[in-house]
Amino acid sequence: MISAADSGPDDGQWIMPARNYASTRYSSLSQITVQNVQQLQLAWTFSTGVTRGHEAAPLVVGSTMYVVTPFPNLLYALDLTQPGAPLKWTYKPDPSLASQGVACCDLVNRGASYYDGKIYYNTLDAHTVAVDAKTGKEVWKTKVGEITRGETVTMAPLVVKGKVLVGNSGGEFGVRGWLTALDAKTGKLAWRAYHTGPDKDVLIDSRFKPFYSQDQGKDLGVTTWPGDAWKIGGGGSWGWISYDPELNLIYYGTSNPGPWNPDVRPGDNKWTAGIFARDPANGEAVWAYQWSPHDLFDHDGINEQILLDLPIKGQTRKVLIRPERNGYIYVLDRTSGEVLSADPYGYITTSRGVDLQTGRLIEIAEKTPVTGKVVRGICPAAPGMKDWQPSSYSPRTGWLYIPHQNLCQDVETGEANYIEGTPYVAATVKMYAGPGGNRGVVTAWDPVARKAAWQVKEKFPVWSGTVVTAGDVVFYGTMEGWFKALDARSGKPLWQFKTGSGIIGQPVVYRGPDGKEYVAVLSGVGGWAGAVVAGGLDVRDSSAALGFVNAMKDLPQVTTKGGMLYVFALP
Amino acid sequence: MPVLFAHALVQQSYSTLNPASPQARLVDRLGDSMFITAAVVFGLVVLALLWAVFRRRDSDEGPAEDARREWPLRTSALVATAVTTAILFVFLILDVSVGRSITTNPGKGALQIRVTGHQWWWEVQYRDSLPKNWVTTANEIHIPVGRPVVFELKSTDVIHSFWPISLSPKKDQIPGDENSLWFQADSAGVYRGQCAEFCGHQHAKMAFLVIADPPAEFASWLARQRDTALTPTDALARRGKEVFLASPCVMCHAISGTPAGSRIGPDLTHLASRRTLAAGTLPNTRDNLIGWIVNPQVIKPGVRMPPNQFSGPDLLALVAYLETLK
Amino acid sequence: MCSRFRDSVILSAVLALSLAACQREERNFQGLPSGSAVANPKVREVELVPGGNVPADSRPGPYEENAYAVSQGKTLYNQYNCSGCHFQGGGGIGPPLMDADWIYGSRPANIYETIAEGRPNGMPSFGRKIVPDQIWQITAYVRSMSGLLRKDVAPGRTDDMQVRPQEQSAQKAKPVQSAIPKSAEIP
Repeated sequence: MISAADSGPDDGQWIMPARNYASTRYSSLSQITVQNVQQLQLAWTFSTGVTRGHEAAPLVVGSTMYVVTPFPNLLYALDLTQPGAPLKWTYKPDPSLASQGVACCDLVNRGASYYDGKIYYNTLDAHTVAVDAKTGKEVWKTKVGEITRGETVTMAPLVVKGKVLVGNSGGEFGVRGWLTALDAKTGKLAWRAYHTGPDKDVLIDSRFKPFYSQDQGKDLGVTTWPGDAWKIGGGGSWGWISYDPELNLIYYGTSNPGPWNPDVRPGDNKWTAGIFARDPANGEAVWAYQWSPHDLFDHDGINEQILLDLPIKGQTRKVLIRPERNGYIYVLDRTSGEVLSADPYGYITTSRGVDLQTGRLIEIAEKTPVTGKVVRGICPAAPGMKDWQPSSYSPRTGWLYIPHQNLCQDVETGEANYIEGTPYVAATVKMYAGPGGNRGVVTAWDPVARKAAWQVKEKFPVWSGTVVTAGDVVFYGTMEGWFKALDARSGKPLWQFKTGSGIIGQPVVYRGPDGKEYVAVLSGVGGWAGAVVAGGLDVRDSSAALGFVNAMKDLPQVTTKGGMLYVFALP
Repeated sequence: MPVLFAHALVQQSYSTLNPASPQARLVDRLGDSMFITAAVVFGLVVLALLWAVFRRRDSDEGPAEDARREWPLRTSALVATAVTTAILFVFLILDVSVGRSITTNPGKGALQIRVTGHQWWWEVQYRDSLPKNWVTTANEIHIPVGRPVVFELKSTDVIHSFWPISLSPKKDQIPGDENSLWFQADSAGVYRGQCAEFCGHQHAKMAFLVIADPPAEFASWLARQRDTALTPTDALARRGKEVFLASPCVMCHAISGTPAGSRIGPDLTHLASRRTLAAGTLPNTRDNLIGWIVNPQVIKPGVRMPPNQFSGPDLLALVAYLETLK
Repeated sequence: MCSRFRDSVILSAVLALSLAACQREERNFQGLPSGSAVANPKVREVELVPGGNVPADSRPGPYEENAYAVSQGKTLYNQYNCSGCHFQGGGGIGPPLMDADWIYGSRPANIYETIAEGRPNGMPSFGRKIVPDQIWQITAYVRSMSGLLRKDVAPGRTDDMQVRPQEQSAQKAKPVQSAIPKSAEIP
């Protein structure tokens, strides 16, 4: 049951990565169905010319498609009215080469948003740009962060009521996390909310009413850290933002605290690994909740949250659903921040559940990393049960379609030396497949019944997003390069196509100028999971790429680098 | 200041024969009683030996005489053995009981301090239930008089041993492990400690100070240590802060309140509040600080801090800044 | 042979061996010994020299045979956060250091330059923050990661969680100039 937060009737466009402010990634186009999807064929392709990890969602506004590439963050505009969708123009932001040295997890970019005639997106070197959607001319470019401090930006901005919302990356570099709002017309700073430090910086004031007592108090962003560790405490917001126009609240999560070694930062480390509800006009915090207080495992809290109205215990509640990194699918009351349920969606050894009275994650002490000791069998691993890759929701089935992974890890934490501009992690990690041996999963989750409806196992982590249509078809891509279609109700595989490189992008569905339904996805392996290929890493070091290489030693044998847009349609 | 420091040096007590805590006193008393007993026994043994050597011997004593002497001699030998065993048994009990009482956890209310051994300096951390109040310093440990203090002992590289000489017996710091010892200072004073396990080139110059303050003074010292370093008002010191941040210093040293946060070397946030440099090697004076920064290898060869090159004005500015870090 | 002659032969052999081992454990606390490699080497990065006839720069680094310096280099490599980008040689944010591919040259002077001056695609410049002697130590350690140092000089097994075979056992990976520097990939 979808809520009024869904942005109205489907016009066949795709103007923001999550499709709408409720973040459903659901297309109500139904030309492609379970019966005819076997006939889906390649309509046209486009090579981006870049060969790092392609995580973006292509946008379709009117009859133009917009594609953002990984570093150097080119923006291509393609004319959908012409056969083969020729290039209209290219915008080159020329981000600083040095920013490649402070990007933790490949040089990805999660895409752009369209608003009021302009395309808005971020560049790796912490700038936000507004480009005229017709002409490709730069309207404004604003510097939002400092790469010499380890800040980069990889997220797709969201534009809400004339404000461009941007969050920083850099939890592995000891940055101070924030969410910034820029004026969509001028690019000038409207407000900035930090995620650590005193209340006045976090924009916590009289309106702030957190639901749980552990989140109540003055200047918790200072007192839950030793000394002034909050200044280098992480908590960026490099993931997904949702918006409820009725309640007039934005919802988004914060990243891991820094460093990964928790011994060095005793205390709950607010407001990292949590979620905020804020007023988009001025950034004032209305409520907040921490998924993982004093996070022990790099369980960033930045995943997507889908806004729905759900029947819970006989009442219809305004909720947000978050398949969280720490292994639980949370259902929160989005008016107050109350945790209504938290159910595991995979194998967990690090916690026993969430105490619904206190709201606190119940950790298992034996799995707590201790400096200088090796702790084994930590599940889910640092990328969590699910990382940034976004799920979709179908109002027809009422289920979430969650692309995720099944990974465990061993970790040894060590001495943490904060040297500005260098990584601040202090952990050696070795990841491997979880029980069952399959490193990837696509789960269809029933949020009312609070259990999985079906699951499809994949050899590699499913690092791409999913999209679901009114034709009851779910699309996603695998890291080997297969673009697949499943039956949304049964999970039965219906169709697949082998693209040139692993897929980690977000598929989109749109109506072309000719009235046909098209499915588009970027192929080009990379991201944290694909760094072994995108970065040409050496598999003999199990700790490379923060430990992910150990779990992906076979990836270079099944895919090479690439950078291609694939668009499919029925014949 | 130099006069005060010289006085402090003179006041430094570092002898096991000068116990300054109940724990050290117990051990000292045990040692004294063992010494006295052993001295007495030694005296008796010497007397017995002398008697055996110089006793009058009649040349016409026959086997009957020898037989007559045999029983008292045998008895004395048996008695001596029995008494020795008894004495050793008494010592065993005393030993175990002293060992027990100095290791039994003093319970809640004790101050917890973590001391981590590095080659060749001591990282000292005061933990608190409120994380904001944690303090990290180096080489100088302040404790309140009359309150038990529990030390958690760790090491990051090789085996060191924490030995606050007049206050407590030593305990090893073993990498990968955690040990603890506790004691309570009887009276205010400056006590010198030493690393007691050979740990490399500069093991001999790895000393520390334990300064026992009256409780009120200790509380105010701890409160000052919790402060972050403020930007100095003096122009030369401000320039010195810039020199610090632009130099190799930030690769190893942390100063709270600045972007420098590396923990390879000692925390410098309150450097100027400490009485010695280089783990008790030098008094903390301006000249010594300059000499240390320019070439620590001359003072403590093998230490992990390299020689540094600064221009004259930069060096003076840097030292002016470091002197503001009280 | 007579026992005294045999004894002096043995003694000389022991002395000779221990002198040979001296270099391996030599500690230069004041920095580089005088007369050794210059602190800021100017090194050629390419083969092409117009007019030709200029031999390649193959000055050995000062610590190629010094096990103590290499082990100090390994400690610094982890403490200065080199491992944060390059991990234990497998790479991540930065390229792998344990393989045969060298984008900017594998000679000690090349590696020194890379660390001191930085490189355009994200390698920071450490020259103003790490003293030359320590950069040479790190350089020597980096070379050990792909087996370019002698077995008795390269570090042995670490006490930490094992994530790679010890540098001592690394097969010597003959350095090759990496095909395309990353900057050339940008369209």
